[in-house]
Amino acid sequence: MVISKKKFALLMVVIMVMATVFGCGSADLQSSGGDTLRIGWNSEPDTLNPLTAYSSESMQVTYLIYEPLISYDTDLEFVYKLAKSFEYSNDERSITYHLQEDAFWQDGEPFTSADVAYTYSLIKDEELGEAAQFLEYLDSIDTPDDYTVTFNYSEAQAFNCAPVIPILPEHIWGEMTADDIEIFSNDNPIGTGPYKFVEWSQGATITIERNDDYYGEAPGADRIIYILYGNEDILIQALKSGQVDIIPEVTPTLWESLEGVENIEAVSLDSFSFHQIGINVDTRGNSGGNPMLLDKEVRKALNYVADREKITEIVLAGHGEPGSVLIPDGLKEWQYQLSDDERMDGDIEKAKAILEAAGYKDTDGDGIREKDGKKMEFRIMASEGSAVDVRAAQIFRDSAKEAGIKLTLTSMDENTMGDLIYDAEHPDWDLYVWGWDSEYPDPSYLLGIPLTSQIGMNNELYYSNPRYDELYSRQSRETDENARNVIVKEMQKMFYEDGGYIILWYQDKLQAYRTDTWTGWEPCPGGLIYGVTYENYLRVQPVE
Amino acid sequence: MDKAGFIAKKFAQLLFTLYAIATFNFLLFRILPGDPLRLIARAGRLSPDAVARLQELFGLDRSRWEQYLIYLKNIATGEYGISITFRRPVMDIIAERMSNTILLLLVATIIVIVIGVGLGIFASMRRGTGTDNTLIVASMVGWSLPTFWTGLLFIIVFGVYLHALPIAGVLTPGAVYTNYWQLIGDYANHLILPTVSLVIVDMAQFFLITRNTLVDVLTEDYITTAKGKGLSPLLTMRRHALPNAMLPIITTLALYVSLVIGGAIQVETVFSYPGMGKLMYDAVLRRDYPILEATFFLMASVTVLANFISDVVYRLIDPRVKNI
Repeated sequence: MVISKKKFALLMVVIMVMATVFGCGSADLQSSGGDTLRIGWNSEPDTLNPLTAYSSESMQVTYLIYEPLISYDTDLEFVYKLAKSFEYSNDERSITYHLQEDAFWQDGEPFTSADVAYTYSLIKDEELGEAAQFLEYLDSIDTPDDYTVTFNYSEAQAFNCAPVIPILPEHIWGEMTADDIEIFSNDNPIGTGPYKFVEWSQGATITIERNDDYYGEAPGADRIIYILYGNEDILIQALKSGQVDIIPEVTPTLWESLEGVENIEAVSLDSFSFHQIGINVDTRGNSGGNPMLLDKEVRKALNYVADREKITEIVLAGHGEPGSVLIPDGLKEWQYQLSDDERMDGDIEKAKAILEAAGYKDTDGDGIREKDGKKMEFRIMASEGSAVDVRAAQIFRDSAKEAGIKLTLTSMDENTMGDLIYDAEHPDWDLYVWGWDSEYPDPSYLLGIPLTSQIGMNNELYYSNPRYDELYSRQSRETDENARNVIVKEMQKMFYEDGGYIILWYQDKLQAYRTDTWTGWEPCPGGLIYGVTYENYLRVQPVE
Repeated sequence: MDKAGFIAKKFAQLLFTLYAIATFNFLLFRILPGDPLRLIARAGRLSPDAVARLQELFGLDRSRWEQYLIYLKNIATGEYGISITFRRPVMDIIAERMSNTILLLLVATIIVIVIGVGLGIFASMRRGTGTDNTLIVASMVGWSLPTFWTGLLFIIVFGVYLHALPIAGVLTPGAVYTNYWQLIGDYANHLILPTVSLVIVDMAQFFLITRNTLVDVLTEDYITTAKGKGLSPLLTMRRHALPNAMLPIITTLALYVSLVIGGAIQVETVFSYPGMGKLMYDAVLRRDYPILEATFFLMASVTVLANFISDVVYRLIDPRVKNI
């Protein structure tokens, strides 16, 4: 007895010693000094190479270090960065930029037009990264002097792609081949921007600090730290307990839980993204999709089956707009407004009538329509990682059943689904739920998805419509905004009527920040940060 | 069979097991539907030429056999190639995270063994009493709590309400340390909640196995004899009871090493701890073959190695298995 008590006492001592060792030390830690903006995210960047990185986290960091010639402010108007001004030639095929003369690379080298010419030619010649698609018609680049650069295009360009092309230092990147650049993780990025890279502690934080030699106006935060959290719930707790200042991505349910919390402002902003049900409309002959879906009347009926308002309300808790055409309402005047006659939405009776008229009838009374002996049975896939997509697919499946269409839902991981959908040789699927995000406040990117030339790339419907393709190239050359607007709207109407996409919703960008640490966040479509503008990083000031 | 022969035989088995695991890992990820470049191409809207260049760079355009041989060579040389996601050598990525995971597991394991075995001894000597029963029930409750749930609870109580402990990471972001002790203190502070979450769940198995084995052993005749010789309960425990109870504890330890890795992945995710857990999870979603191959192989090796060591130790301390 006595001994076991001793043993127990010994254990207690061990526990207490451990507790003391662990418990002390960090309570009196000094803060880093100055004002630090802390951003919480739950996904880590892939690399800091602005050409090949594909995560939005990476862009957030690299665009504060590397600058484009021009960028977007919070009203989505152009704001000058490495360019002081620009003008178009009379035939609108050439753009001349006049560059900042007092900009320097963060290693002390001067920035010149040669760096600009190098970056643009590298992207175009080697097809490096996302921006390559915008330089297809770039013919030549002239650099008459160190601070002037002229881009000559073979066709006028409606979309000015300069904001998405970060300028790289030729003296550092110039010696690398395209292969080198593909595997270049860029651990020590050197740019011209308002922030300098400090440290990337893998799996934990990325730190950048103010570049005191920056030619432009000095930003408010001495340093910005991006902190990685394992999941969304913890991220919300970190915001509530004051360990981060802003969360750029909040799920609808968690967003609701932040409403009315002291010192926290939860914002809901328009975005340039949508989620859709895609329909396999491949007519090239090797599709594994159900041929019934090639009947436009069937696609029309499916469009009527989807009750977008109900789906948005249930799935997104109302944090989104019910979907319609290819261009989200974040792109404001570019969006085509459907008339009541044109709208195909949430009307099961109408869907039934269309199917009856087209000869799809339930003759054997099992609740499923058939035509020519074939039942109306389709497969539908959704990504299991996306709860909203799975839920939307379930609601859609149940509505379809009412109209006499049987859908079999399979959820799988996104990568597996992508592999099935994008198998251009033999696309063996019928319907799927997925989404598209655009980081450009311009309709080109989203309008470009269903192009015939994108089959094998982004055109996952295998949609092909020569008339649509022709309108696309016309709008991309049309520099008169009003004339372009007319074409862009015609394309949306055309694609909507063809019914390849059932656009379910345009989700809101939900974000939340603390009001007692930083002030001056300016709402912007696409997001305060993590959207198209980087101005909020520069604008915010510490709360006194 | 002599000791050296036994160890050599076990070692040969170990190598074969590792080879089998390596091969299985290779097949597992290649058979898994999906493609490491598909989502990259979608997100970056890459042209077919750009995708082809990436395939070539990562050797994905080669035949399965060629990829397999390169993979075996990589494993043999400890090189795992370049991560498709992070575009840097896999060993660089793993090294730091692996050390974080090992530290967490080491601290947790030591505490689990000390407290688990200690309480087991304590309870076995008070068999049938209220203390014994309380400890059994408490450890069963601890064992059945889901790690992610206890973790979340700790975060809300100690992090959000009490503001007493950090809830994420290994170091306070942006902190400036004036000396090493502060750095170590900060590190230790971040370890508390993840460690306690692991300990609460994992302690029970050691407690129960120690207690139950000792309860059996303590009823043996030789214990009565030892007591009859006038040995104190402490000496009886140390010389006669504990050595005989060691075998199941060692087996449990070997099994525990393989289980704790799974537990660590959960704890790391809840506490945003930069270890192997989240890296592996994300790598599966992205089909980052080089990272998957390296991490799964390393994790499997740890398990196999733990079993190897327990086999050898078993043989050394248990005279009965000498002739097997």
